[in-house]
Amino acid sequence: MYRIRFHGRGGQGIKTAGRILGNAFFHEGFQVQDAPRYGAERRGAPIFAYVRASRDVIHERGIIRHPDLVVVADDSLVPVPAAGILEGISRRTVLLVYSHDTDATWQARLSTSAKILVLPPPKKPTEVPEQGSVGAACVGAAARLIGVISADALRRAIEDELADAGPVVVRENVHYALDAYEYVGEHQGLVKEGGEPSARDYERPAWISLPFEDARVSAPAIYAAATSVEVRTGLWRTLRPVIDYARCNRCWWVCGSFCPDSAIDLGDQGYPQIDYDHCKGCMICVAQCPPHAISAIPETDAEQEQPAEIEP
Amino acid sequence: MNESHLRRMKDLPSTHLLGAGTPMCAGCGGLQALHEIYDLLGAKTVFVNAAGCMTLLSVYPFTPFRGSWLYTAMASAPAGAQGVRDALDILIQKRRIGREEDLETVVLTGDGAAYGMGLSATSAAIERNLDFLYICYDNEGYGNTGQQYSGATPHAAKTSTSTGPSGYAGDKKDLFAIWAAHRPAYVATVIGAEPLDLARKIEAAKQLRGPRLIIALAPCPVGWGYSPEETVNVGKLAVKTGIWPLKEYIDGHVIHTKVPRSRLPVEDYLKVQNRFAHLFTPQRDEAMLVSLQTKVDDYWKNIA
Ligand SMILES: Cc1ncc(C[n+]2csc(CCOP(=O)(O)OP(=O)(O)O)c2C)c(N)n1
Ligand code: SF4
Ligand SMILES: [Mg+2]
Repeated sequence: MYRIRFHGRGGQGIKTAGRILGNAFFHEGFQVQDAPRYGAERRGAPIFAYVRASRDVIHERGIIRHPDLVVVADDSLVPVPAAGILEGISRRTVLLVYSHDTDATWQARLSTSAKILVLPPPKKPTEVPEQGSVGAACVGAAARLIGVISADALRRAIEDELADAGPVVVRENVHYALDAYEYVGEHQGLVKEGGEPSARDYERPAWISLPFEDARVSAPAIYAAATSVEVRTGLWRTLRPVIDYARCNRCWWVCGSFCPDSAIDLGDQGYPQIDYDHCKGCMICVAQCPPHAISAIPETDAEQEQPAEIEP
Repeated sequence: MNESHLRRMKDLPSTHLLGAGTPMCAGCGGLQALHEIYDLLGAKTVFVNAAGCMTLLSVYPFTPFRGSWLYTAMASAPAGAQGVRDALDILIQKRRIGREEDLETVVLTGDGAAYGMGLSATSAAIERNLDFLYICYDNEGYGNTGQQYSGATPHAAKTSTSTGPSGYAGDKKDLFAIWAAHRPAYVATVIGAEPLDLARKIEAAKQLRGPRLIIALAPCPVGWGYSPEETVNVGKLAVKTGIWPLKEYIDGHVIHTKVPRSRLPVEDYLKVQNRFAHLFTPQRDEAMLVSLQTKVDDYWKNIA
């Protein structure tokens, strides 16, 4: 049985990627299970989808714990523990990362025994898929690495899955998927099928025992103010808005009112300040700043830089 | 509304009360409106919420609110508010809490609840002259469950249940008129993209007692199909094209608070949203575009 996990962010076509791969397997005569998994969070938050495919009836259920292939559509998620990308990977797992960085960089970064392969975004900017189609590129590469899915089955799966979105979208996504399918050609069949489930592999769930408590303690009532700040929605961001204080007019009421997330406040010296722990990277401030003093830089570049200082 | 101390954008609050870290989408126009509203309402509030995207605001153990929050069934938020208001009144009457500890009861629902399922509960609450504030964030569909159409969906918009070549066949209900017909203390339309207009209306509503109802048009990147940074642009276009009239009802009169001087073509608003893409590709649906423009023109014919 093949066990594949796709990781990405809401809005990148991850759920669709899982469905496309499942469909493609199905066209090749496999029995298939595919399901997305996401929390209550919405666009931008980490999500994953998983696919099981087997020539026989699939009895296994639930989340895939020991994947044969892990596909990462958004490399900024790798260090995010909540995304669970490295969970259950071993020597026999293939990790496919959609990233600008090289295989060697990722190998050094992750010090894992899994085989790491990078799918780089196309060099020509006009060829780079939009956010929503990154999943299609990933699924193309995944299909080839698995090795039992023909280009034709892949194309039919995309056509089935995206029919509602119209012919233009179908054409684009087929193109991204087939490009990636070609790109990883030399690694065809790198992903090997895992064994069938057996009672011996059963892992006890990590139960937590909860004592019986008084309703005032056990009811889900919250007795503190604004506890949501404990949630670091800054992890959703792929682009970071950065204020150039030399150009900032100090009209904090513009960006401060428009930021939906209360992540822009008035700082000490009359300048707006962005709370990067919580900014989700919607970029409304970048679009609205009257003197264009806020620019968007890729989060991966920003991490290497020092936090912006106010220099009036 | 003219006596407001909120004269310029600069008079808006500079610190923000609604906690960050909520699970709403990046660029959510509903959250934008709510955070602007909350800055003015503050912690002395009890929010009564009906099922929708914003139910996820307060999921144990996290809440962005500094005051209280209560969750009700989708059709019942105004009834829940009645219970809260009565409880507060009884506590005050019995002197178990002081008058200064009183709280504002605020209903928060989406359009699915406000225009549809919860309409009769709202009608009854207004009829009983319930002292409460109703905030409807209107993203023109059942957002939380994947943007199915609601009574607030505009004609011709594509939703996940209106996928044909002509989109949603119905018309957006005029909830402002429906609410105003009950003659409550106050009704207003607002939008997060116009924070000053919004703030003045919330200030006005705070001064009054009885039923006060606010509809905030809530551009929704996911449901409407545009990129999150466009939320304010889309909102401003809704106002400038005359699609979303900013107005208030008070003392039996309707006042338009921001009349666009020269209205932009409705098309400018439609073409930036994927839910209307079928009106432009593969061919322009000229007849539909003209009829949508005519509806807006007809609305404004008798105003200012
Ligand atoms: C009686 C009832 N029917 C259906 C649902 C499922 N449901 C949960 S949220 C939701 C959508 C609500 O739409 P709206 O009020 O517009 O809020 P939005 O999700 O757009 O924020 C639905 C249908 C429910 N909770 N209760
Ligand atoms: S679906 Fe729309 S209304 Fe709901 S949280 Fe997301 S942006 Fe906001
Ligand atoms: Mg809605």
